[in-house]
Amino acid sequence: MASGHRAQWKGFLKFGEVSCGVALYTAASTSERLTFNTINKTTGNRVNRVFIDGETEDPVPKEMQTKGFEIDNGQYIIIDPEEIAAAVPESNKTLEIEAFIPCSEVDDVYFDKPYYLTPDKMGGDAFIALRDGMKKSKVAAIARTVLFRRMRTVLIRPHGKGLIATTLNFDYEVRSSKKAFEEMPKLKIEGEMLDLAKHIISTKKGEFDPATFDDRYEAALAELVKAKIEGKSLPKPKKVEVSKPNDLLAALRESAGLLKAGAAKDTKPKRTAANANQGSGRQRAARGAASKAASSGAAPRRKAG
Amino acid sequence: MTPATSESEKVRFYTLNKETGNRVVSQYIDSVTGKPVKDENEAKGYARGENDYVILTDDDLDRVALDTVKTIDIEKFVPADSIEWVYLEKPHYLMPDDPVGNEAFAVIRDAMKADGVVGVSKLVMGRRERAVVLEPRDDGIVLWSLRFGDEVRPEASYFEDIEDEADPDLVPLVQKLIKQKSSHWSPNMVSDPIQTSLLKLIDEKKKELKPRKTAKGGKTEAAPKSNVVNIMDALRKSVEADLKGRKAG
Repeated sequence: MASGHRAQWKGFLKFGEVSCGVALYTAASTSERLTFNTINKTTGNRVNRVFIDGETEDPVPKEMQTKGFEIDNGQYIIIDPEEIAAAVPESNKTLEIEAFIPCSEVDDVYFDKPYYLTPDKMGGDAFIALRDGMKKSKVAAIARTVLFRRMRTVLIRPHGKGLIATTLNFDYEVRSSKKAFEEMPKLKIEGEMLDLAKHIISTKKGEFDPATFDDRYEAALAELVKAKIEGKSLPKPKKVEVSKPNDLLAALRESAGLLKAGAAKDTKPKRTAANANQGSGRQRAARGAASKAASSGAAPRRKAG
Repeated sequence: MTPATSESEKVRFYTLNKETGNRVVSQYIDSVTGKPVKDENEAKGYARGENDYVILTDDDLDRVALDTVKTIDIEKFVPADSIEWVYLEKPHYLMPDDPVGNEAFAVIRDAMKADGVVGVSKLVMGRRERAVVLEPRDDGIVLWSLRFGDEVRPEASYFEDIEDEADPDLVPLVQKLIKQKSSHWSPNMVSDPIQTSLLKLIDEKKKELKPRKTAKGGKTEAAPKSNVVNIMDALRKSVEADLKGRKAG
């Protein structure tokens, strides 16, 4: 089914003694982004990647390459790539459901990539019975199989007429929220302050459909490339819009100050648009992460999957 | 703000030169002249035609750069279950990092919790401006970057051929099976057996320091037949098998 799309994986979905033929299709991908090549500025030619010995700088042909695991700085245990491959069990092409868990218990922090899971022509009846049973019981399924050269766990859940299988990150790749927030001061907000915040939330309640949110950097990049190709004048550096500082926080801080009347006078500087970038702790934290990630933005990409 | 996921614990192999035992590194050479290209001479190019590239300089790229605003400005609050899972891209943990922020942070967190809502904001991450969702969890806030609308493929074209209604007799049986196989979420479900065997392999090598072939490799089960003749029978069998298993246990 799903004609016109290329399946990432084909196999069987098995629950109990029932199995049906299924296929996985990439549900989210960045492969439609503009792709760039690395060019030698001085000649305008593309660059090629070659592999050389780190010490001697001589080229190392493919057959002379092997794998190594670093035990000490600069010390390696050589491991034959075949031995590594042997550690990957042969795929039985079967997503076997090991357990059903209540949807409310799913820890989404483990989510990696989503795939649309669809039945093949033969498997339709079992597939839709599973879909509807899971919907009614409000559960998601945990299944495992060899997928993309790794034994992976996927979370399967009903979605519309189909199922979505999300690959999950491994336990050692995820820091639990419990652990991350361990050091947080135990503040419980109650009473007037909570009411006030709830009131503010109620004035900002709305809906948000991520489907309508597009990548404006990508659009600007496409425009830039177009202008360059056509030899047109380049888009002017945009006048940057500066967001207002966080109204909610400011309002809450102000009210927090009022509630603590009598306590030490509020000496915090007034937050205005002018000092928006001076920042509180949260702002600093966001800045660090954003600038770290900034370098990876428009690098040439290979297709996902 | 710190990412909730990291690849740092993953077993990583390097490519070595068999002859010298040295690391193999990659180098960029000019595809025409064959000469190595220095880092500072590398630039991004968009392929206009064969072997014809439009070069984008750093200045060009700066023209389209988005301003990074350091404030997470919550634009609105939406029901917690209204954001489809398929849009969740990458989780980060958000915490106040000075005492002044603690209370304001806790106020937002607890008010969102009490109302069953999450906050929606925008944030420039890795050059791109992303919609982000702030979700209260435990004593902190999980900040999810969301995928762009045009990154998620429209589901309709994948699911359109699937039938709407299941056989009403089958569903209760499936539900029975679900009940029997019900479990609770545990991080054990996302263990990595291959990483474990790789680590074992490395350990053996370390100890013996002489190569030995591993006989490892999982058992291969034959793939089940695709055309289960009677789903009803199979479901019944599953339910029975499970019950027997329980009695025996």
